[in-house]
Amino acid sequence: MNLSPNRSIFAHEIGRKPGGFRYRRNAGAFRYVAGSVAERASVSLKRSVAERASVSRRYVAERASVSPGATEAQRARLSLNAKGLATFCLIAFFILLPEAVRAAGVGKGFNRLLDSVVRIDVREETFDDGGKRFDASIGSGFILSSDGLVLTNAHVVGPRAVEVTVTLPNLETVGAKLVGWDHWTDLALLRLDMADIGRRKLTFSHAEFGESEKLYPGETVYAVGTPFGLTRTVTRGIISNTNQYFEADREVDGYETGQFNTWLQTDAAINPGNSGGPLVTEDGRVVGITARGYMGANNLGFAIPASTAKGVVAELVKNGAITRSYIGIVPGALQDLEGFYALAMDTGMLINSVDPDSPGDRAGLRGGDILLAVDGRDVDGRFPEQLPAILNVIAGKPVGAHLKLSIKRGTETKQVTVVTERLESSVGEELAFDRWGLSVRKVSRMYARAHQLPNDTGVVVIGVQPGFPADIAGLLPGDIVTTINRRPVDSLEILKSAHAAYTRKPEPTLLEAERDHRISLFILKP
Amino acid sequence: MIQIPVRRLLSVLSIAVLSGGISSRASSLPDLWKERVKSVVAVDYFTELENERRPTTAYGVAIDTHGTVILPSAAVDPRISPKQLKDFKAYLPGDPTGFDAVYLGQDAFTGWHFVRVEPKLAAQLIPITSWAAPDKSPVPELADEVWGIGVRNKDEDFTPYLLDSHLALIQSLPQQVGIAQQEVAGPGLPVFNRDGVFIGLAASSFGQTFLQFSQADRGGTPIMLVDLEESSAFSLASEVLPYLGRVPGNVDGRPLAWLGAYGLESMDRDVANFLKLTDRSGAVVSEVLETSPAEKAGMKNGDVIVAIDGQPLPRFRPDRVVTDYVEREIERRKPGDVMGLTVLRGTETVELKATLGDEPKLIREAERKYFDRLGFTAREFVYGDAVARRVPIREAAGVVVSYVKPNSPAAAAGIEEDDWIKEIDGKAVKSFADGSAWLTAVEGDTLRTEFVLLVGRGTDTAILRVKLR
Repeated sequence: MNLSPNRSIFAHEIGRKPGGFRYRRNAGAFRYVAGSVAERASVSLKRSVAERASVSRRYVAERASVSPGATEAQRARLSLNAKGLATFCLIAFFILLPEAVRAAGVGKGFNRLLDSVVRIDVREETFDDGGKRFDASIGSGFILSSDGLVLTNAHVVGPRAVEVTVTLPNLETVGAKLVGWDHWTDLALLRLDMADIGRRKLTFSHAEFGESEKLYPGETVYAVGTPFGLTRTVTRGIISNTNQYFEADREVDGYETGQFNTWLQTDAAINPGNSGGPLVTEDGRVVGITARGYMGANNLGFAIPASTAKGVVAELVKNGAITRSYIGIVPGALQDLEGFYALAMDTGMLINSVDPDSPGDRAGLRGGDILLAVDGRDVDGRFPEQLPAILNVIAGKPVGAHLKLSIKRGTETKQVTVVTERLESSVGEELAFDRWGLSVRKVSRMYARAHQLPNDTGVVVIGVQPGFPADIAGLLPGDIVTTINRRPVDSLEILKSAHAAYTRKPEPTLLEAERDHRISLFILKP
Repeated sequence: MIQIPVRRLLSVLSIAVLSGGISSRASSLPDLWKERVKSVVAVDYFTELENERRPTTAYGVAIDTHGTVILPSAAVDPRISPKQLKDFKAYLPGDPTGFDAVYLGQDAFTGWHFVRVEPKLAAQLIPITSWAAPDKSPVPELADEVWGIGVRNKDEDFTPYLLDSHLALIQSLPQQVGIAQQEVAGPGLPVFNRDGVFIGLAASSFGQTFLQFSQADRGGTPIMLVDLEESSAFSLASEVLPYLGRVPGNVDGRPLAWLGAYGLESMDRDVANFLKLTDRSGAVVSEVLETSPAEKAGMKNGDVIVAIDGQPLPRFRPDRVVTDYVEREIERRKPGDVMGLTVLRGTETVELKATLGDEPKLIREAERKYFDRLGFTAREFVYGDAVARRVPIREAAGVVVSYVKPNSPAAAAGIEEDDWIKEIDGKAVKSFADGSAWLTAVEGDTLRTEFVLLVGRGTDTAILRVKLR
């Protein structure tokens, strides 16, 4: 018997509406994408693949025979023992591959490219279940330089990676370290353990970028990578669209991505595990980095254009990170609203929304304003495909720069000066507190803005471990812990020291947390 | 040693009294039932929405000889404006003849909806008070027989029937609620003891958890079921009889006492013990609303209410009932009443005195207008909208979309329910009158091909273009 008080069954509450416009259209489009996590053939994919009736059993069997994290050599041994013939054929196929490609009319450049494509096995920390866990996954990448730089996706290798193993084209494995990542463009740069390579006298080739701007729809391209762990798989297709637009989303492990670039679309078969591998033209030049696809659709794959990647690689090599500027405007396509705003065609970009307390907000910008020019340079945002480039111009300005924006509001046009801030991710630092069975993520400024929090005090609960104090106290993922023993949680250090004290001498500990802006008290007790 | 005979004497006496009662019982259970059914009324009405008239049926009891009837709080959706409630009809159980009835409004404290039926029907009803004990209402004992009335649906002429059970438990939720072993009456219908004395009014039933098994799910999935037709829980007569006079003066149930301590949250035992509230409880105030009596009294977000007018908040089972307790303490008072509140703020205890106000206009009271050609309803932006959107009340302006007609121009443009329309064709909407007038003009202009809205949703805004042709 559930003793609920005698209240109306319509118990009325003033609903606070979550969410905004930004991710809506995309969410629909991506309903069948198993997402970035699945795409890199992570452990969780096993389940999703098995569940997905449309994927053949053979895939599952193949995956099952490969334990994630097994090196190529181990894999070969394993497989030879287990199922000799099938694997032998597979290896034979790899060895014969360049020959086969040559027969198809592809030249030297293509072979050189094949000798630069690697498999990447990643072990990373996750904090999703109230404790620190390790997750294993497989992705692709390619060697960019003779000094061992490897380019891949940010959703394959990110800061949470604790162990990265690269399988070279000659099947030898070598360790690698993250040089830097940029989740906004879903790119990450690794450096091979060159000392080890030197000691072992290993050799490899490196790939070269082509010009993605010159691609045309219908042009033949090849995708090379490790779909479902099948090393160095080459698939062929054409460029389906040179300039595909997606609204920004959170496909990189919950990090924002896609604001600043459009995508190459191809019908070359791209499967989970292809992520980070190159999309190349017949001469073997890399024109894109394959990153996502629609699961369950027929050959709708997407790659980050080389034109975007070149700039990101250059800056990651130089600084280990990309610095962008932020003013807090959310664009909309102006398509067919020119009449309403009395604008000439191909002029201006609609500002749909301005983030609260952002530089744009402070400068008085608001939804419905038209951005005509940035620092005297006219912008044209008639179509959605044009929006990422405009945002990229703003992002490329120095942090703290005084941008002169021409803004049209109603019949008036005026100059507004906006001082840029450094663009930050809404995903804060993560940490697990073992004794409490609690894992948290720091509230970032962007998170606080999006969730209408007064400031960035507090941590978001991302996981609780069943049966542990946090779970017994009733904390749930999404709760925002704001105080501990009546002290504001303005840094992770506060929690760390409280946890250390609890570990030394477990005593009831008082937490204040917000759930949907409602404050509750919780006791962590031994 | 001396006490034993006294106790024995008392028990002998009480048995004598009880058996005296039983022997002097005037009627058999069927006879009692037949008489008491005359206090019961079935009521139906229509909720008039943009695209439909939704019928609702509820059951209630007559409380006086003027034809006043009370219905349980669940009889009317609280989001619906009383203006949308139409065509009230009342019926005697077992008789399809409908009598006219008028909706009088809801009492916030009891939650009851009051209806008055036409004199022709009133004359045939016996007020529930006729079955009440003359002085103090008897409280049933564990295992006592308790029985009540159920009523079938309209297609069965609201046929009344007998439900009979025994008392299993009495709980404070926070009202005193009797819980019978089985269903004992339809929600809103009366419960009696074996002597036919009124002992309570059936409440909404409790949810019961069942496991649902199927071919596909052999492990079983827990589901909660709520019986809408019969209930095993009833508010004791002491929670009913003293409040029958709370007939609302108007359909909006105004005035409504208002403190403005929003988002009350209960605490569990561990927290109460930590705060040294052993055997007592507290309610956390999530947000002190702008310009509210609570704000004027100096209440702060995160304060823990631990006593009202010096009375500590009792501990309830389950703990969460304490928030209902605080809300009822507010609702039982009137605007202008002074409420003493003891709050914990950190480690400090603070005494506050709040002079209750009248609740700001509720969403269900907001003005609204439906634009059929455009395909949506616009309603006034009220205080609760500012609270829900976490914007300062001074920014209250514009109109809120309360309904979108499927496949209409508004739906095609992507307008959604709860969207906040801030600008219409580039002009800021300052008031409902403005917005309504402008939209009326747009709707009346058959040459118009489109109009443009600036709409807020969550923390975002967007320009939406509504094509009319």
